[in-house]
Amino acid sequence: MSGPPSLPFGTPAGRTPTREVVTVSELTNRIRGVLESTQGEVWVEGEIANSRLWKTGHLYFTLRDEHTQLKAVMFRSAVRYLRFTPEDGLRVVARGRVTVYAPKGEYQIVCEHLQPQGVGALQVAFDQLKRTLEADGLFEATRKRRLPLLPRQIGVVTSLNGAALQDILKVLARRHPTAHVVICPVRVQGEGAAVQIARGIDQLSRQEGVDVIIVGRGGGSLEDLWAFNEEPVARAIATATVPVISAVGHEIDMTISDLVADSRAATPSAAAEIVVAGRDELLGRVAQLSDRLRATLRDTTRRLVTRVLELDHRPGVAGWPARLAIRGRHAAELTHALTRATRATLATRARRLRGAQLRLEAHEPGRRIEASRTRLVVAGERLGAAIVHRRQRLEGRLGDLTGRLEALSPLGVLARGYAVCWNANRTAIVRDASAVSVGDDVAITLRQGQLTCTVTGKE
Amino acid sequence: MENHIKDFESAIGELETIVKTLEAGDLSLEQSLQLFERGVQLSRFCHTRLEDAERRIEILSQNGERTAAPETLIPSEDGSEV
Repeated sequence: MSGPPSLPFGTPAGRTPTREVVTVSELTNRIRGVLESTQGEVWVEGEIANSRLWKTGHLYFTLRDEHTQLKAVMFRSAVRYLRFTPEDGLRVVARGRVTVYAPKGEYQIVCEHLQPQGVGALQVAFDQLKRTLEADGLFEATRKRRLPLLPRQIGVVTSLNGAALQDILKVLARRHPTAHVVICPVRVQGEGAAVQIARGIDQLSRQEGVDVIIVGRGGGSLEDLWAFNEEPVARAIATATVPVISAVGHEIDMTISDLVADSRAATPSAAAEIVVAGRDELLGRVAQLSDRLRATLRDTTRRLVTRVLELDHRPGVAGWPARLAIRGRHAAELTHALTRATRATLATRARRLRGAQLRLEAHEPGRRIEASRTRLVVAGERLGAAIVHRRQRLEGRLGDLTGRLEALSPLGVLARGYAVCWNANRTAIVRDASAVSVGDDVAITLRQGQLTCTVTGKE
Repeated sequence: MENHIKDFESAIGELETIVKTLEAGDLSLEQSLQLFERGVQLSRFCHTRLEDAERRIEILSQNGERTAAPETLIPSEDGSEV
């Protein structure tokens, strides 16, 4: 039997030797057809490897298990909706369609969606962002700024319709009725919320007068709170120029913004309480300081009064301050000198009188003599009275000086209607008229208030 | 002694120093009177800053303008609902 030379591929015996030869493209198309029609949409579970995000936004990776690998791609349009970053080693369930990539003769799965296994996608995203920010040092305790004790204006970034704003305003109305609040209304959930919140924080921190910001919202599901777990919000809090208090959801909810913020409040109400706590502390401190200030004055006064009383009880002039003693001695000397001078004058006058009397008796009738005698008696009496008066005045001055010592108790004196006279720049008390000149200014402290006076005369 | 008061924080700081100095007690009468007077001035300033203000609630718009918040948003002084 003769026939065409057999081809190296051969054909099964007994078959028609017609061969169908197809091109690579045709075969590939057939395979594609088989694969795509029989497989359709699949869910496949595996571990991500060799993942690489291209500049175009498409994500290329391999899904593998112990023995097998499957090439995978996720196009930009789908990557956009991923909440987390598909990293190597992450176990996922991928939803997609199996296709053939003809240029390389490879089959691959085109993923529409990735779902982390075990934990939810949000949890993975949370952990990933937390790791990134931690590496950037955003959670460092040293970054946390002290809240102002007395904020001039309180910024609030939240929804205008939410319970959070009502809670904050209610607490402020009760605890700090004169608070000045500036609200920046934003969406707190859904598309674009994170960007709005971030912008709100930034905008408020630039406002003149705002020196603390509360950012937050009421409770909700993890989805509802999600904006506060997004990077723009975290970065805005970190770069804000004033301290930020994060108040998201309820007690148990912990968000990324809580971790970055300078202070974390369990609830929005708690955030408001934190803001006014400083003011309460200050009110307490000022009240306490005012009390202590008054107490020191009371003590000073008491000390001075005690000193004056001690001086009073010492026997004799010897114990009194030196100046007073000197004045006392001076007064005694004056009295003595006066007495002596008076005696001398009296003696002289008496002598002259007697001489006159003798002359009168020689020339004049007795009536004139009688008149002269009367005048002499009157003059003597007046002189005596002058001496007594002078003594009384000196004694009065001694008493006055003692009184002035007592009067050193400052409040007591001022309360009784006396005044303290200071020199013009209030550095010393004026005790002596010679210390000031006519035309000088002096300051007078009264029990209530101050006077500035000009000296118009001195004695 | 300067009469100017820079801000609240410096006022309360100076007040604290004055009270401590006065409490230490070894000052002349003139000095204590002067310090006491300054202390009263500072304490009044602090009280004023803490108490004297008017409640204001404003809303910041996107373009940075402030407007008064609508009445419906403002709770009454005792914190109860309007």
